[in-house]
Amino acid sequence: MDYELELRGITKRFPGVLANDHIDLAVRPGDIHAIVGENGAGKTTLMSILYGLVHPDEGEIAVGGRPVRFHSALDAIEAGLGMVHQAFKLFPTLTVAENVVFRAEPMKGWFFDRTAASERVRSLAAEYGLEVDPDARIEDLPVGVLQRVEILKALHRNARILILDEPTAVLTPQERDGLFMVMRRLKEHGHTILFITHKLGEVIAVADMVTVLRAGKAVAHLNCRETSSVKISRLMTGRDVALGERTSGSAPGDEILRLEGVTVTDEHGIGRLVDASLAVRRGEIVGVAGVAGNGQNELIDIITGLKAADRGTILINGTDVTHRSVNERRQAGLAYIPEDRHRVGTAAHGEVWANLLMGFQRHSAFRKGRWLRRGAVREHARRLITDYDVRVAGDDSSVATLSGGNLQKLVVAREMGHEAPLLIAEQPTRGVDVGAIEFIHSRLLAARDRGAGVLLVSAELWELLALADRILVMFEGRIVAELEANGTDEEELGLYMTGGQA
Amino acid sequence: MTTARLSAASARQAIASPVTFSIVVAFLLGALIILLTGTDPLLAYREMFDGAFTGSGLRNTLARMIPIVGMALAISIPFRAGVINLGAEGQMVVGGLAGTLTAIYATGPGWMVITLALLAGSLAGALWGLLPAIGQTRLKLPILIVSLLLNYPARAITGYLVRFPFADPTVTSSSTVSVPAANRIPKLPWFGGISASIIILAVLLVGVALFNRRTVPGYETRMTGLNSRFSRYGGVPVDRQVVWLMIVSGAIAGLIGTHLVVGETYRFLDGDLVVSGFAWTGLLVSLLAMHQPGPMLAAGAFFAALQIGGLAMQRNIEVPWQLAQVLQAIVIIMLAGRFVISRRTAVEPDTIIEGESTVTGEV
Repeated sequence: MDYELELRGITKRFPGVLANDHIDLAVRPGDIHAIVGENGAGKTTLMSILYGLVHPDEGEIAVGGRPVRFHSALDAIEAGLGMVHQAFKLFPTLTVAENVVFRAEPMKGWFFDRTAASERVRSLAAEYGLEVDPDARIEDLPVGVLQRVEILKALHRNARILILDEPTAVLTPQERDGLFMVMRRLKEHGHTILFITHKLGEVIAVADMVTVLRAGKAVAHLNCRETSSVKISRLMTGRDVALGERTSGSAPGDEILRLEGVTVTDEHGIGRLVDASLAVRRGEIVGVAGVAGNGQNELIDIITGLKAADRGTILINGTDVTHRSVNERRQAGLAYIPEDRHRVGTAAHGEVWANLLMGFQRHSAFRKGRWLRRGAVREHARRLITDYDVRVAGDDSSVATLSGGNLQKLVVAREMGHEAPLLIAEQPTRGVDVGAIEFIHSRLLAARDRGAGVLLVSAELWELLALADRILVMFEGRIVAELEANGTDEEELGLYMTGGQA
Repeated sequence: MTTARLSAASARQAIASPVTFSIVVAFLLGALIILLTGTDPLLAYREMFDGAFTGSGLRNTLARMIPIVGMALAISIPFRAGVINLGAEGQMVVGGLAGTLTAIYATGPGWMVITLALLAGSLAGALWGLLPAIGQTRLKLPILIVSLLLNYPARAITGYLVRFPFADPTVTSSSTVSVPAANRIPKLPWFGGISASIIILAVLLVGVALFNRRTVPGYETRMTGLNSRFSRYGGVPVDRQVVWLMIVSGAIAGLIGTHLVVGETYRFLDGDLVVSGFAWTGLLVSLLAMHQPGPMLAAGAFFAALQIGGLAMQRNIEVPWQLAQVLQAIVIIMLAGRFVISRRTAVEPDTIIEGESTVTGEV
């Protein structure tokens, strides 16, 4: 049988970790082949090996039946591979066309042929249904479009095999559906796709085959038509997971957070948050739904104190904190899991203990006057690492070594470890695997049950429906609906999210 | 892992480190240059070594270390929070004059006047450092630029003051009168007379090391340097922090300026504090030492010895002392190159992730 891509016995050891353990993988031409696995299962290492970024200790790779040996990504590109990274690698100040043709530019004599570049991108885009304006500047484009640019870049260099590394992690549901259409179109054109993801529903929806990785080993190769997400999930985690089952809490208690008529206007005079009022009580989870960019970020920044409100009042635990600093709000009982764990929630080159301390360094438990109580800090860090099952070499290692899900667990551990009465959780499970999602959900529910008030912002409607007691829907900076989670569904939420009335 | 194994490993690391490598290469290239001028490189290096460490050389090297390490210390404090103070020179000059004038005109017992002079110097330096901090936090003017630009008025204002209101009428150079003998920072009997300022420097070094590693503000400073959004998120008042770091930085620079006059030359001569480039050598030392006090002491000693040895070499065998500067430059270029290369080629899991999160950290 002829495979487009074949990996045999790929093994890679990093100090202390066997990242890939004799992995075999065979991909038929024209297939969409999903690779799933928990954080730390070895997906990214495998893809880095395939793309020439990391050299395997053992094993062979064959492309189109011919054995290859990649010394760098350039060799991989030469062999017909194209990679769409999770973090896009584009020049923000250049146009789409300039980015697409970079390093393979059409020339007119000695000069760059801008018109030909635009034309090439336009025709490629039309061929594959990738809607994009070749002359738009990258910095002006939303994430979903950037991803199309990355795909075009690979296609421009004649990639036959496309590797998509968690492509849906950054997309809205609509953008995700658009991507799936593009993937099917690519398949029709004879391209082979390796699709790395956490989300099992997506595997079933779009892939032909799926390979499951667990702890560095390929534990199963399955045909997607003959399997289910439950079965895949069991293979990934080695146990049964229950997601999306509602559990309701006890009756909510006192108000822990109240916003009254909060308004934020941007520099152009446009209201980013308009007359927002809400209340969160102890012992309840209040969900915030909305398409990205409809005021959720402003709402959270106002509550946490990272941005000042132009009008309105914010009360935490009965105290007016409208004009208080971030630190004072934290003292008043606020904890906050931020959406962007890399740029906001952690310092990549700081140690694990330093990252676990942030926000609480002025607590009396961790200082004596101005002196850090280093023993207490370390002990606290070690306790959180154990309690929240953060997989790290030690409390002294740099967090740059942590995988996405582990990093998120670290952030969750820090913010929840103090049992603060008010928790703001912003996309707490974005881009993490099903095991970590389950873990974080159970922690959020436990926080609710011990009497914390939780404000949960999520792009995943099923998550809100499963966890929240009430759901607020935001549209164009306004809270347009407040619904009991028990009495609503994705359809109704979707209608409010897009500005329609139910 | 045992401590013994750790220290063996760190010793091996030190020998193979880019620093050692760069120094060796710099001296090899320097030997080539000396050879071209027709001198025996070994002789030149022997002269350099003797000049820096034997006889009065050791004292001179130590004396040179005070301003170099002191300025490095001043610059390192805001640098750990990612704030680059290019105005340390101006803060040193302004502080130097304030300290000098206090030492000349204040009356009282010597020890008291000296203390007052050091305080006045620190205060003036602190104020000069505060200006760019306010510029950044209130007016969004980058500290990097404002602090650098403030070096020029510092030089001009002090130049005017020592040329006119406070000029010594008995000399033709533009300088103040001498600090009275009783009000000078005393020399210690060690190493043939090293300034007592070295004790202040030692205390400062230990203090900064403790601040960095053991205190809450020290921790917050480092976190701001690693990721200021993270710091802000964690409740650190970053603007207020920047202001304080600049005040302390300016104060130390002003203190060093005061030492250079009240402890060394005894009269403030226009341009005198600037020509030696202590602030800039200090910046290099701070960068090389990654802003850590211990390594700063080592790097400062190296540059001080190089400069003092270079002067001795010129005096004794007429190899121009600029060779020392060439060596210094080669070391720095090599180091910069090494760090860039090692960042680009390493294939550790660490760096894969670091590589702009190309591959999100999964092993």
